[in-house]
Amino acid sequence: MSREMARSVKLLATLPLNILLNAILIIPFAIMIYLAFLKWSPAMGIDWWEAAFVGVANFVRALGDARFVNALTNTVIYTVSTVSIEFLLGLLLAYLMLGEFTGKKAVLSLIIYPLMLPPVIVASVFYLMFQPYGPVNNVFLRAVLGDDALRITWFLNPRLAFTALIIADIWQWTPFIFLILYSALSAVPRRLVEAAQVLGASSFTIFWRIRLPLIKPLIIVAVVLRALEAFKMFDYAYLMTGGGPGVSTETISLYIYRVSVLYTDISYAAAMSLVVLVMLALVIRLFIWYFFERVR
Amino acid sequence: MTCCSDNVDKSDPAPEGQSSRQNSVDKARRTFLIALGTAAVGIGVGYALGYLTKPAEIIRETVERTVTVTRTVTVTPTPTPAPTPIPGLSGAASRAIAGVRDLLNKGVIAPGTTIRILHVAGSRANLEKAIELWSKYVPEVRVELITLGTEPDVYTKAMSEAVTKTGAFDAVTIFSTWLGDIVEAGLARPLDEFYARYDPEYVGPCAPIEPLGSYVTIYKGRRHSLALDSDVFTLSYRKDLLTSETYRKEFEAQYRKPLKVPDTWEELIDMARFFTELRLTAPSGGRVWGAYFYLEPAFAAYITWFNIFVEAGGIPFDLETMDPKVESPEGRYAFDIILRMKPYMPPEAISAAWADLYDKFVKGETVFTAAWPSLTKEAMRPTSAVRGNVGTALMPGVEVEVGGRRIVNKAAPNPVNWVGIVSNYSAHPEVAYLFLQFATAPDTGLDMVLTGVILDLFRACWFTDPRYRAKSAEGYGEEFLDAYMRSIEISYPDILIRGGTEYLSKLTTEVNNVAAGLKDPERALSDISAEWDSITKKYGRDAQLEAWRALAQLFPENVKSVWRAKGYMK
Repeated sequence: MSREMARSVKLLATLPLNILLNAILIIPFAIMIYLAFLKWSPAMGIDWWEAAFVGVANFVRALGDARFVNALTNTVIYTVSTVSIEFLLGLLLAYLMLGEFTGKKAVLSLIIYPLMLPPVIVASVFYLMFQPYGPVNNVFLRAVLGDDALRITWFLNPRLAFTALIIADIWQWTPFIFLILYSALSAVPRRLVEAAQVLGASSFTIFWRIRLPLIKPLIIVAVVLRALEAFKMFDYAYLMTGGGPGVSTETISLYIYRVSVLYTDISYAAAMSLVVLVMLALVIRLFIWYFFERVR
Repeated sequence: MTCCSDNVDKSDPAPEGQSSRQNSVDKARRTFLIALGTAAVGIGVGYALGYLTKPAEIIRETVERTVTVTRTVTVTPTPTPAPTPIPGLSGAASRAIAGVRDLLNKGVIAPGTTIRILHVAGSRANLEKAIELWSKYVPEVRVELITLGTEPDVYTKAMSEAVTKTGAFDAVTIFSTWLGDIVEAGLARPLDEFYARYDPEYVGPCAPIEPLGSYVTIYKGRRHSLALDSDVFTLSYRKDLLTSETYRKEFEAQYRKPLKVPDTWEELIDMARFFTELRLTAPSGGRVWGAYFYLEPAFAAYITWFNIFVEAGGIPFDLETMDPKVESPEGRYAFDIILRMKPYMPPEAISAAWADLYDKFVKGETVFTAAWPSLTKEAMRPTSAVRGNVGTALMPGVEVEVGGRRIVNKAAPNPVNWVGIVSNYSAHPEVAYLFLQFATAPDTGLDMVLTGVILDLFRACWFTDPRYRAKSAEGYGEEFLDAYMRSIEISYPDILIRGGTEYLSKLTTEVNNVAAGLKDPERALSDISAEWDSITKKYGRDAQLEAWRALAQLFPENVKSVWRAKGYMK
């Protein structure tokens, strides 16, 4: 088979996939980019291709929109807090689970259990748990603070409401980081650990100098995947706080949802989504470069 | 410590490893730069494409054409066909069945035709009842329900359908607040022709109660929906506590005035404070709070603020300029009442979903509250702790001065109001309309309303005609029926113009902000004003002004007279 022929066969073979990818990924994405430069809402009574072209007005509006900035700030704080805590807890759990003990399989299953629940269920359960007479106040905090605990209204105080969201996220998603790190730590060659032990290295040194550097690629995968998910958080805010009190726990997904679905301001929502996409891509790229590719 | 690192490095052939790492860094950088470049080119192409394909002249032409279409559609009413009597049915229901039979006989639709109704889960039992009744008369035409979980889901699906035009459903039950958006988006079919042909009884003793019947179905002068519901708020209270001799004496001694159904918000605050400070325990074991009015962030907080604002004589928009008029003494007063009432409300009023108000009242945990009629229906159920002890009255009012006279101005919110629209993209719009007419007819509609939760009484004869009233009273109680009729007379519509959902949603957010102590009222009012103005600009000031002027006429007479006295209306 000539080289030309082989090339044609390859092209033909990949053509259906190319068409599919173009249809389901690239075309909608291109439409979204186009929409971001229009002034269009379905309620305007015109089709999107008939809408007025407004250039970068939607992007300028986003940057000057206090609610957008607030939602973005909330999301960044949320992502950094949840991912950091989940990483530390996941790593600790993974390290502890490296040893052998009776009932290890059962404990493993228990740790992974929250991952199997739909976030909607988790949000509903945590919403009930954080009610003034819910178990968090009535059982845990009452033991420490007495009856004063029943006066704590988690969803009325912006900080407490935010904390409740973070706790729900940590409960559900720490197992995700744990799973990746546990499998990574389990795969570290024993001979390296044993060699270090022979040379007199402490457990901490072995962990810090051998295990951790070796699992760095997987740490990055876990953190990046988790950060991307946390950044898109919608369920907990929608169900537990509704973004409130006020807009103090409104995340970027919730705000974009409101703008596009409730206010039907599709063009503006598209512009905000693009701003977020570019920012996120840059941050993740920088993160990978700093921890993974930087030439030391 | 360095030993271990060295060991690790030595196990990996360094030069090779370094060079491969360097290569991968270079490749990654190249990929990154290519991706960045592609994104930039993509944005540039999108920008250029839009610029080239949409010059300003064409856009103006499109807008002009749309306006023309809106204004020149003519209605040609076909005479109502002489209906074949349908045993057991009369009036609108009979005409609906006769109409669908006629379509079947003429071969316009085939036996086995199915129509699909998109609706929210809360109305499933109501609509299932209507389908059950319909199937008795026209089993050949099936009705399927497409049930969605929450109210915003319906709005999303409806607006998506307006864009994609799939014809996946024939009719949709929507909030009347959405009507402006949904008509403008092209989804709701004008129904004047069907109204004229089949007469759904919107005139006469059994018509939907006015002005409600008009403002939930008419948009820009044309009928676009059929009423399925009425949602006027009434004040509900724990009659057992309010009529208790002990509490009457205690209250009178403490406040030097009688304990009675409050006429104004000021009176209600005193009573709410009194009962809250008693620290009573409800049958559920929970604490009894004096009041519970909506202040929650997701949807309903605007209802409370807007009610006090309207009663105080506030007008949301200027009738000459469409400028927001919320930064006004009436706006400040509404926040003042809310903040003074807040200590006597359960904290959940600011954070919980709307159904929490129902839960607390039915458990006996609140003394005064206001909600949709279905609250009374729930409180009448055998499981309710307050069954038999619920009083209903008009919403508390605000004292205002009209023509040198102090009067208590009362108005009742009418938020939501489910209505049925027929999709412009339906293959069987006439059948869909006929089903809605059948479901909401005097004979059949009452059964539909009484079976299920979220749809409530909306026809006058269900309150007044003895044939229907006894049945209505079984579901709601006699006292409620009287108070509700009077409430409807003073009811006012939501902001039923294009962008209505957005105006009210922004208001809800700010009311919740103030109630939660995150913003001071002045700043919130200024922010509402700015947000509303930007929504008005988005849809076009002139078009919005025209719609608002038409809507303002539908506010009750007592409210309009205060507006006139204040110079807000000519």
